[in-house]
Amino acid sequence: MKKAITLLMVLVLALALPLSCKKKDNNAAGAEAMKVGMVTDAGTIDDKSFNQGTWEGILLAEQDMDIETKYLKPTGTTEADYMKEIGNLIDAGYTFIVTPGFKFETAIFAAQDKYPEAKFVLIDGTPHNADWSEFRAEANVVSIFFAEHESGFLAGVATALQLQEGALGFIGGMEIPPVQKFNWGFQQGVIYANANLGTMVTMDAENILYQGSFSDVAAGQQLAAQMFDKGVKAIFCAAGGVGVGAINEAKSRAASGEEVWIVGVDVNQYADGLYNDYSNSIILTSAMKRIDQAAYDMIKAELAGTYPGGETLTFNASNNGVGIPEENPNLSADVEAKVKEVFAAIQAGDIVVSAEQGDLIQ
Amino acid sequence: MQMEKIVEMSHIRKEFPGIVANDNISLYLKQGEVLALLGENGAGKSTLMSVLFGLYQPEQGTIRVKGKDVQINNPLQANDLGIGMVHQHFKLVHNFTIAENIVLGMEPTKGLSINIKYAADKISELSKHYGLNVDPWAKIEYVSVGMQQRVEILKMRYRDAEVVIFDEPTAVLTPQEIVDLGQIMKNLIKEGKSIILITHKLNEIKAMADRCTVIRRGRVIGTVNVQDTTLAEMAEMMVGREVNFSVDKEDHAAGDIVLKIRNLYVKDNRDSLSVKDFSLDVKAGEILGLAGVDGNGQTELVEAVTGLRKPESGKIFIHEEDLTESSIFHRIRSGIGHIPEDRQVRGLVLDYPLEYNLVLERYCDPPYAKNGFLQKEPIRKHAEKIIDIFDVRSGMGPTGAARSLSGGNQQKAIVGREIDLDPEILIAVQPTRGLDVGSIEYIHKRLVDHRNNGKAVLLVSLELDEIMDLSDRIAVISHGELVDIIPADQADENQIGLMMAGVKND
Amino acid sequence: MTEKIGKKSKGPLGGFKAPVIPRPVVVGLSAVILGLIAGAILMGLTGNNPFEGYQYLFKGGLMSVERIGDTLATATPLILTGLSVAFAFRTGLFNIGASGQMLFGGFLATAVALSWTALPRPVLLLCILLAGIFGGALWGLVPGLLKALFNVHEVVCTIMMNWIAYWTIYYQIPKYFKGAFLETESAKIADAASLKAPWLTNLFDGSYVNYGLFLGIFAMIIVSIILNKTVLGFELKSAGFNRHASEYAGMKVNRNIVLSMCIAGGLAGLGGVTLYTGYAGNIQIGVLPSQGFDGIAVALLAANSPIGVFASALFFGMLHSGKGFMNAMTNVPPEIGDTIIATIIYFAATSVLIERVLDKIKSKRRGDK
Repeated sequence: MKKAITLLMVLVLALALPLSCKKKDNNAAGAEAMKVGMVTDAGTIDDKSFNQGTWEGILLAEQDMDIETKYLKPTGTTEADYMKEIGNLIDAGYTFIVTPGFKFETAIFAAQDKYPEAKFVLIDGTPHNADWSEFRAEANVVSIFFAEHESGFLAGVATALQLQEGALGFIGGMEIPPVQKFNWGFQQGVIYANANLGTMVTMDAENILYQGSFSDVAAGQQLAAQMFDKGVKAIFCAAGGVGVGAINEAKSRAASGEEVWIVGVDVNQYADGLYNDYSNSIILTSAMKRIDQAAYDMIKAELAGTYPGGETLTFNASNNGVGIPEENPNLSADVEAKVKEVFAAIQAGDIVVSAEQGDLIQ
Repeated sequence: MQMEKIVEMSHIRKEFPGIVANDNISLYLKQGEVLALLGENGAGKSTLMSVLFGLYQPEQGTIRVKGKDVQINNPLQANDLGIGMVHQHFKLVHNFTIAENIVLGMEPTKGLSINIKYAADKISELSKHYGLNVDPWAKIEYVSVGMQQRVEILKMRYRDAEVVIFDEPTAVLTPQEIVDLGQIMKNLIKEGKSIILITHKLNEIKAMADRCTVIRRGRVIGTVNVQDTTLAEMAEMMVGREVNFSVDKEDHAAGDIVLKIRNLYVKDNRDSLSVKDFSLDVKAGEILGLAGVDGNGQTELVEAVTGLRKPESGKIFIHEEDLTESSIFHRIRSGIGHIPEDRQVRGLVLDYPLEYNLVLERYCDPPYAKNGFLQKEPIRKHAEKIIDIFDVRSGMGPTGAARSLSGGNQQKAIVGREIDLDPEILIAVQPTRGLDVGSIEYIHKRLVDHRNNGKAVLLVSLELDEIMDLSDRIAVISHGELVDIIPADQADENQIGLMMAGVKND
Repeated sequence: MTEKIGKKSKGPLGGFKAPVIPRPVVVGLSAVILGLIAGAILMGLTGNNPFEGYQYLFKGGLMSVERIGDTLATATPLILTGLSVAFAFRTGLFNIGASGQMLFGGFLATAVALSWTALPRPVLLLCILLAGIFGGALWGLVPGLLKALFNVHEVVCTIMMNWIAYWTIYYQIPKYFKGAFLETESAKIADAASLKAPWLTNLFDGSYVNYGLFLGIFAMIIVSIILNKTVLGFELKSAGFNRHASEYAGMKVNRNIVLSMCIAGGLAGLGGVTLYTGYAGNIQIGVLPSQGFDGIAVALLAANSPIGVFASALFFGMLHSGKGFMNAMTNVPPEIGDTIIATIIYFAATSVLIERVLDKIKSKRRGDK
C-alpha cells in the first residue's frame, strides 16, 4: 500500500515537474507585463453575466496588449472574503484589479486605502463604507455604471416589433437596482412600441416576477413553464442561473413546436438558446451591457496612461455601452432597422428612458 | 466411512490486546465425526474457530485442510475450502426472505435478475431432505430463533460445506429444538459431513459428539473420547477443579408479597395481545420460576414490569406501591433489578468501558456523581469490586470496552451489576444463557443468596433444568396466559412440559 | 508505526499509556496526508507542480501575521459547526442542519445587534450571544422534537430546516433590517455591537480575526467537559451508542435526543454569531452558509473529539484561506483549486476507510511474523 502510494507520488511529480518548469519560463519572459487581476462575484466564471463579461473583456485585452491575467474566486461573498482575494492578488503582483458587482463596494472602499499602490475598477458600484455614511473614491478607483434601462428599452422595442401582438413576461433574479432598471426599461420599451410603432403586446403584473436568487435553475424552469402555459410568448430574463432554467424550458417547448422566446441579458445569449442541432435559437435578442468593453477600455486606458482615477463613468447608449447585439438572426431586417432608429433617438436625446419605477409595474 | 483428517490446526497462537486468546493450540477433525470443543466462556473456543473460518489471522501456526497447507484470509476463502460456520449470533438480513438470505452472496442469476424461484425450489428440496420444515418465502423477522438457526444450517448446505462449525448452537433453542438439532446433525454426519461443535454444555456433548477437545485459558487441556469419559471428568478438565452440579438450596420461608401483577394485558410489536389477563405474586425470600416456550409472552411481560413497554391495562405493584405508570428511572429506585434477555441489546453499552457499564443505572447517584460531574474514583472502585467478586475477565480491566469481553463475561458483569443494586425484586431473564458450568454454578449461587437475603427473584428461563433446580414455585406461561403455579417440590418435568404446551393441570 | 497505534479496545476514556499516539490522531493524520496526495495528483494532472502548489497554499494561509489571523478567522465558524456536528454524532444523531442553525442563530444575533444598540457593549454582546445560541437551539429543537415524538429522521428534518431558515431570512432581513440601499443584506452592524476587537485586528495586522475565536475555544472546552466529565454527557453518549440499553437503564432517551439537538443547534447558532456579527459584519440573504456543511467534514476528520475538531477546523481554515494565494501564484485555476480543497476534505473525511486499511496492515504484519 505504502509502496504503491510512494510510487504514485514519484510518478506524478515526474510528470508535473517539467510542465511547471516550462510554465515558469513563460512567466519569466513576460515579467515586465502589467498584471491584471479579477475577483469574481458569487457565481462561476462562466455565468453568462457579470463574471463572464468582465473576464472576456480582460482576455480580449490580453490578446491585444502586453498584460498578464488572473482571476480568483472567493470562498464567500462577504467583505472579508473579497478582501482576502484582493490581498492575494496584490501579494502575487497583480496591481490592476477589476471587480464586478455592487457587492464589492465596501471591499473596494477599504482596499483603496489599504493598497494605495494598486488600481481598481469597480463595475456596477461605487465605493462606500459599510453603513453607507461615507462615499469616497480615491484616485486609484474607477467606478463604472451602466444604463440598464436603456438596454432594456431597446430589447423591449425589438421584442414588441418582432412579435407584434401577444403577452410578454419578465423574470428577475434578486430585486436589486441593475435588475430593476432592466425591467423598467423593458416595460417602457413595450409601451413606446405600442404607442408609436403600432404593436399590440401586453405585460401583466402576474407575469413580472423576481425569483429571489441568481442561482436556482429549477425555479427558473418552473416559472417559465407557468408563464408559457398562461400564453406568454416571450420572457425577458435578467436572472443569471434562474434565466438558464427558463432558457432550458423554452428550448424543450420550441423543440416540440411551440412558439416561445426568451430575451437574454447582459451578454449576447443567442448561443445559449440553440436547439434542434444548433440550427435555431430561442433567444429573440439580448439586452446587453458591454461589461467586456468597460473592462477592456479601462485596461487600455491604464496602459496609455489615461486611467480616469477617482471618476465615476456611465456606459449608456450614447457611448455604445449598452444595446442589443449587432446581429439578431431572430429579428427581421425591418425590425433591426427600426430598433437602430430608436437607438439613434436615445443617443440624440430625443427619447429619454427613465431609470425609476414611476407608475410601471413592480 | 473413511476416517481421514479433514481439518488439522497446528500450534495456533492468537493474541488480542492484553490477552492471549489461543496459545499453541493444536487439534484435528476427522471426516464424518462430531468434534466437540469444550471450554469456559473466554477460554478461546470462538477465537480458534474464527481463525479457521478466516475471520482472524493467527500470529503463529498452520492450518491444513484435506492434507494441504492453506492460508485462510477471509470467510469467502473458508467457504471455498468447504468450511461453513453457524454463528452464535446469526448473520441474517431481517427484512429478507429465507431464500434471499440463503443465496446472499452467490445469487443464481437469470440474465441480470436474480432467479429466486430456482433458489427457493432448491431450498425446499434440501429442507425436505433434512426434515427442516423451512418455508423459503418467509421473512426472517417473522420466524423463530430456532428457524433462523435452520436457515443458517441450510446456508451451509446450500454452499456445499463439508465441515460445519456450530458456535454454541443450543444457547438460543427450546428443549424441543435442541432435540431436533441433534437429529439434523446426525443427518449431516450420515452424509459424510464433519462437524465441530463449540459448547460448554456437557449434556449436549454426551448426546451429540464423538470426541471432545477441552480448552482452558487459551490452551488445550486434552482430547477425550466422549463415550469413555464421564460428565464430571469433562467438567473438571474444563474448569480446573471439581464442579458441583446441583444447587445447594436450603428451605427458606417466603415473606410478604414484593411484586404484585394484576390483570395485565400487553401488546407485542406486531400490535397483537401477547400477555392476557396475567396476575402473579412474587414474595420476599422466594425464587419464582416462570417456565414457557420461547415467544409465549415472557418478553412482553418482563418489559411491562420493568417499564420498557406500556401495558394496555392492568396494574403492577412493588410493596403495594403502584408503579404501572412510573418511569424506568423510578422503578429501578423502587427496587426492580433486571437482568435482560439480550445482554448486547439491552444490557450493555458495548462501546462504553466496562466501568461505565457497571454504573449504567447509578451514574447520576452519589458517590458516582457529584454536582452533575462523574466521579472517576468511586466508579473505578465500584468496577474493581464487581470485577473481583463476580470474576469478570476483561483484558483491559475496568477501562476495557464492554465489547472486548467474551459473552459470558459480559453476562457476569450484568449479573454482578444487578445483584449489587440489591433490588427488592430481581427479574432474571435467561441469566445463564451462553455461560459455562463454572459461571452458571456461581450465578445460580448468587441468585439463591439473594433469595436467602429475604429478597424476591423472578426467574424467567427457557431451560427447564434451571427452573426446576432454582425455583421455590414454578409458574407456567402459555400463549400469554398464566397456566398455573405449582410448588417446585411437587413438580415433575413431564407435567410442566404439558403445561408449557397449554394443558392445564386438573 | 503499527506498534504505536492505540488499541482498538480502548474506550473513549481510555487512560494514557506512555508514548502511545492515540489511534484517532494516526487515522486523522493519515487521512490528511492521503487527501494531500490526492490533491497533488490532481495538481499534477492539470499540469501544475504539486510542491509549488502546496508551498503557496501553506504560505497563503500562514506566511504573515495577517494571513495567520485570516486563517484563524476562517476557522472560527468551522470550529463551532464542527463541534455542533460532532456533538450530535457522539449522541447518535446526524446534524446536517448546522447551516440553517447558523443562519437563524446569526439572524437573531444580527437582529439584536441592530436593534438594542443603546445597551452597554458587554451587555449587548452577551445578548447577541444568547440570541444566537437561542436561535440555533430553536432550529435544533424542532428536528429533535420530531424525532423524539414521531421518530422522524433528523437528517430529513434538519435539511428542511435549512431551507426554512434560508427563506425566513430571505424575507425578514429586507423587511425589517435592510440597510439604507441594498435589498440583499442587512444593515451594517456597528463595530461596538459586533465581535470585532480592534486590539486583535491590530495584533494580526488588520485581519478579520475577532472575539469569535475565543468563543470557539471556550465552546470546545465546554463541550469536551460535558461529553467526558458530566452525567449529562454520560447519558447523551450512552443514547448515541445504544438507545435500547439507555432506556433499560432508566435514562430519558427522548428528552436526551431533544436536548442533544438543542445543544448541537446552539453551537451552530454560536457559529452563526461569529460569522455574521464577527467575520462579516452583516447578514446577506440568499446564501446558505457553507460552513454548516464543512462542519460535517471537520467532525469526521476529528473523529468527533472536541480538541480534534479544533485542530481540523484550523486545518480547513488554512486550506480555505491559503487557496486564493495558491491560485494567484500558480497556474492552478480557481475551480481546480476548489476541487483540490474539496478532494483534500473528502479524503480527510474518509477516516473510516483508513481505519480499515490500518487494521489490514496490522493484521498482515502480524501474519508475516
